[in-house]
Amino acid sequence: MTDKIMIAFKSIGKNKNRNFLTMLGIIIGIASVICILAIGDGFAHTVTKGMGNHNTRNKVILQWQPTSDYNTDGGFTQNDASALAKIPGVDHVKLASSVTEAGAKVTYRTKKTSIGLNKQPKHLKLIKGTYFTMTGASNGIYISEDLAQKLFKENALNRLITVNGTVFVVQGIYRISNMNYRPDAYVAKTTFKQLFASQISRDQAKLYVQADANKKQIGKTAVKRMKQMGEEKKTGKYSVSHPDQISKQFTRILNDITYFIAFIAGISLLIAGIGVMNVMYITVSERRKEIGIRRAFGATSSDIRNQFLIESVVLCVIGGIIGIIIGYLFVSIINAFLPFKAIITPYALILSLSVSTAVGLIFGFIPSNKAAKSELVGLLKEE
Amino acid sequence: MLKVTDVGKSYGKFTVLKNIDLEVADGEFLAIMGPSGSGKSTLINILGLLDQSYTGEYLLEGKDYKDVSDNELSQIRGDQLGFVFQNFKLLTTYNVYENIEVPLVYSKKAQNNKNALIADVIEKVGLTGKEKNLPSELSGGQQQRVAIARAIVNRPKLIIADEPTGALDSKTSKEIMNIFTKLNKAGTTIIMVTHDSEVADYAMRTVYIRDGQLYNDEKSVRNHD
Repeated sequence: MTDKIMIAFKSIGKNKNRNFLTMLGIIIGIASVICILAIGDGFAHTVTKGMGNHNTRNKVILQWQPTSDYNTDGGFTQNDASALAKIPGVDHVKLASSVTEAGAKVTYRTKKTSIGLNKQPKHLKLIKGTYFTMTGASNGIYISEDLAQKLFKENALNRLITVNGTVFVVQGIYRISNMNYRPDAYVAKTTFKQLFASQISRDQAKLYVQADANKKQIGKTAVKRMKQMGEEKKTGKYSVSHPDQISKQFTRILNDITYFIAFIAGISLLIAGIGVMNVMYITVSERRKEIGIRRAFGATSSDIRNQFLIESVVLCVIGGIIGIIIGYLFVSIINAFLPFKAIITPYALILSLSVSTAVGLIFGFIPSNKAAKSELVGLLKEE
Repeated sequence: MLKVTDVGKSYGKFTVLKNIDLEVADGEFLAIMGPSGSGKSTLINILGLLDQSYTGEYLLEGKDYKDVSDNELSQIRGDQLGFVFQNFKLLTTYNVYENIEVPLVYSKKAQNNKNALIADVIEKVGLTGKEKNLPSELSGGQQQRVAIARAIVNRPKLIIADEPTGALDSKTSKEIMNIFTKLNKAGTTIIMVTHDSEVADYAMRTVYIRDGQLYNDEKSVRNHD
């Protein structure tokens, strides 16, 4: 085998230019495969990392959705939570909300409107007033420019408004841009907790399950139980939520795109393969004398076939390795410009080398077989 | 060593060999003479197991190899036969050492002492120091020595030489024939095709071939005319 690989290297080295040009197709094809897979894998990794923070390994999330837009305050109650906690395999249940914003009614003199409100963020850019973090049960409120215009004709700062019956002082006004969603008003953290948090619908029940539990079965049982005895069963529907489903679907679409582009790269490899076949045909016809000599001195026809197959594979694998190196360099360069990091996985390397070997074997087979089957006496007449 | 009985070969209606009967003993040095196109090369291709499409019977060391597998034929060629061709048939991109190594690549019997075997035959043919040279850097006589070294490196029982001096001048021809004589004296059977009677004189026995038929002496050929 070593002898045959050495013969292959020698033969390839003899026609460096011709073989390099033949390899070029493989080099470009493999470098493309490496780049495409690296970009695809890098993108998928970034996306799944971003979306995959929902640790759903040990929990089943139950979702309540209102059946009508007029009654959205429902959800899970403590009684529901107790009932769910009794399902075999469930360790404990926590109620949560898919939204953090509370709905409220604002009154200023005779004007009334419904708003969404939240606890104040750390930073907020105001167009009027000074922003600061309100401590304790402060009755300060920051309102949006839109709300200010709706309630007051002119200067809104320091005016008093009533929110769900509690009086607040307008501390500042902010603008809601199209790009950045914000609620209509912000209040102090403590105030929000005391007055509004209870109004946020607890539309999620997180069932923490035991390690060996059958999550699918628990999900089914939980939905069934809530349909029977859920306190808000008349106003909404219960279902099992799959937060990782979106990221899974996204990854699948991304994989499809990656494989589609890899398929295009495959076509370039097919063309490269035809180039390899062509050069192997030329090699075989140029070396008829050599084949004859080797056959006369003990080489079997399969020795000859293997010899040329090895040569074809060595040619393609050298091309593949150069392609991987160029692909690696290219990925390093494009990483400087990409918003995410392209990753070359071991899978991409194995795939590239396997593809190179396969191209060598597939496209080298027919010429090698031709060499093996040539008639010996005819070969020895070659000069 | 070998026995040929009623061997014939034809391409369609064209008969190349007919009714060939020949026996060669172990250690014999046989010359086959005849003009161009007489069927000499066809006959030695059959004797060298290079051509299996013939009629009649050919036994090498008592065995008929007509219907054996390609692998077995290759093994016999590699282990028991050695070929020397008129135009040397060396691999032009391989040096002297690598050319002589060719039969050993396919032989199972000499994997461990390759270097010793090659050094031994290089010395026998007088090419010590030329191991790294390419054929293009050698004279015709030296190239034929490489070809002889390649033919004997596997220590074959039978050497088949097709016009081994055909491309050489008379002085170099003598040197080459001296090597063959030495090999024959050492016990190797040699069958050599030539059209040069001076070269044929080195052989113990000469047979003549004309129009595909074999004669035991030159007189019979003339009588046949």
